Amino acid sequence: MQYILWPMLAFLLLYIGMAVRGPSMWDRMLGMNLASTKVILIILMVASLQDMGFLLDYAIIYALSGFIGTLFITMFWGTRKRREKEKRDGTDQ
Amino acid sequence: MELTSNIIIIIGTVFMLFGAIGILKFRSFSLRVLIISKIDTVGAVTVVIGVALRHGISFFTLRVLLLLGILLVVNPMVTHIITRTAHVSGYNLEEDRGQDDT
Amino acid sequence: MIPNPMLYAILALWVFGAVCILRERRNVRVMIYLFIFSLLTSLAYFLLGSPDTAMAEAAIGAFTTIFFIVCFEKYEALKVDGPQPEESPAEKRPVGAWLKRVVAPLLFTAVIGALMLYFSPGGEVVDHLKSQYLTQFAQDVGGENAVTAIYLGYRVYDTLFEALLLVVTVLAVAHMSYSTSLQSTKQKRYLKPSVVEIAVVRAIAVVILLFGVYLIVNGHITAGGGFQGGLFIAAFFVCRFLIHNIHDLPVYKLLRLEEVVFASSVLIAVFVIFLGMTYHLPAEHLPMFQGVYMVIMNFMIGMKVACGFTILFYRYVTIERR
Repeated sequence: MQYILWPMLAFLLLYIGMAVRGPSMWDRMLGMNLASTKVILIILMVASLQDMGFLLDYAIIYALSGFIGTLFITMFWGTRKRREKEKRDGTDQ
Repeated sequence: MELTSNIIIIIGTVFMLFGAIGILKFRSFSLRVLIISKIDTVGAVTVVIGVALRHGISFFTLRVLLLLGILLVVNPMVTHIITRTAHVSGYNLEEDRGQDDT
Repeated sequence: MIPNPMLYAILALWVFGAVCILRERRNVRVMIYLFIFSLLTSLAYFLLGSPDTAMAEAAIGAFTTIFFIVCFEKYEALKVDGPQPEESPAEKRPVGAWLKRVVAPLLFTAVIGALMLYFSPGGEVVDHLKSQYLTQFAQDVGGENAVTAIYLGYRVYDTLFEALLLVVTVLAVAHMSYSTSLQSTKQKRYLKPSVVEIAVVRAIAVVILLFGVYLIVNGHITAGGGFQGGLFIAAFFVCRFLIHNIHDLPVYKLLRLEEVVFASSVLIAVFVIFLGMTYHLPAEHLPMFQGVYMVIMNFMIGMKVACGFTILFYRYVTIERR
């Protein structure tokens, strides 16, 4: 059962690599989200191995705060790109 | 029960492996989103269900089910938000070959 | 239970992420790296065996990312539209660039890892203070969570000082960013979220609020506490900003509430800990009294942190919208 942690760690490495390397910003955000999902699964595995239910609160917190952070990064970066596009197209305001 | 849950967790990991192969294979953002948004969510949900089966009926399972609900809502939602924002803000989804727009 | 090589791998990844942040020059990428780095930090804390700190770090990571990215946005808006420094997009990358970008951080990580392994404590460690804390906290302070017992019992002055720091920060931000003349005619529009997104954020906001209250109320029994719960209640107000596009909050009323809550928490701590109220109680009432004290203190700290971070967030986002 605890050997399943290793593939999770490998996926985590891969997705962090995607977040660092990914050509566009959107790839990076995607990699960030995927890495946080993998981290949630690692936490779930550890909690299940130790049979401690309260550790799952941490996994839930992780999921929710990752969601809010991703939401904000997309919102502000998208606004900025949108403004650049409007300026480029000449349809500003 | 132990064996069943282990098999289900391994199946979920194999799903995620397919997703990882897709990440390595495709270079454009839209294809990556298409692959990831389904396969990764399915893999995560399968693993969570396997862990829930492992503990039978208990408070642990209740919390795992809460986590499962949150994952089911949040994980496709984030991909939706990222892709929609990329589309609205003018990222060319049709003919991207990994353009760098930083 | 956790395999040791895995812990080392996470720590190595941690150092690698720090090096990545230091070597990156583009601001938005740094935001994303910082977010990943704080998530990794949180995971490392968790694997090293402190879920409370890990919770605080995960929530703080999201909040710092929000604050940084809002600040970055304001900074970009303040830039003059003068001649920008020339950028050559088709710049030829030198051959050894990937060597510099990949091998140097890896080498640095390897060296740091070797040092960590070399200096990791072996043999006997003096731990009488730790054993004293861990064996005595149930009688002295009560509760089942030793971390909460320590920060509300033995170390309550540290906690109050941190709370004071947060109050001063919030006061400074709220008063320095006050202006009525900045009312810009060209109002900035953020991207409108889609209908699905709003619906989901509505549902998630309720979960976040309930979870924050749960963390505060259960802080003395399970992992969690006032700070984490307060952060989550502040995150609920962030969600409200996303849903309803609210831009004006009664900031000064919230500020007054925060001051009152802080003063009363100081009063309670002084009465209970400093004046030693627990020594005058009969022994059979002691556990209930301790439980009530911890719940009340957690509630106070949570309310204060929630007010503080809500004020900070609204001031950062809506500074030029007054």
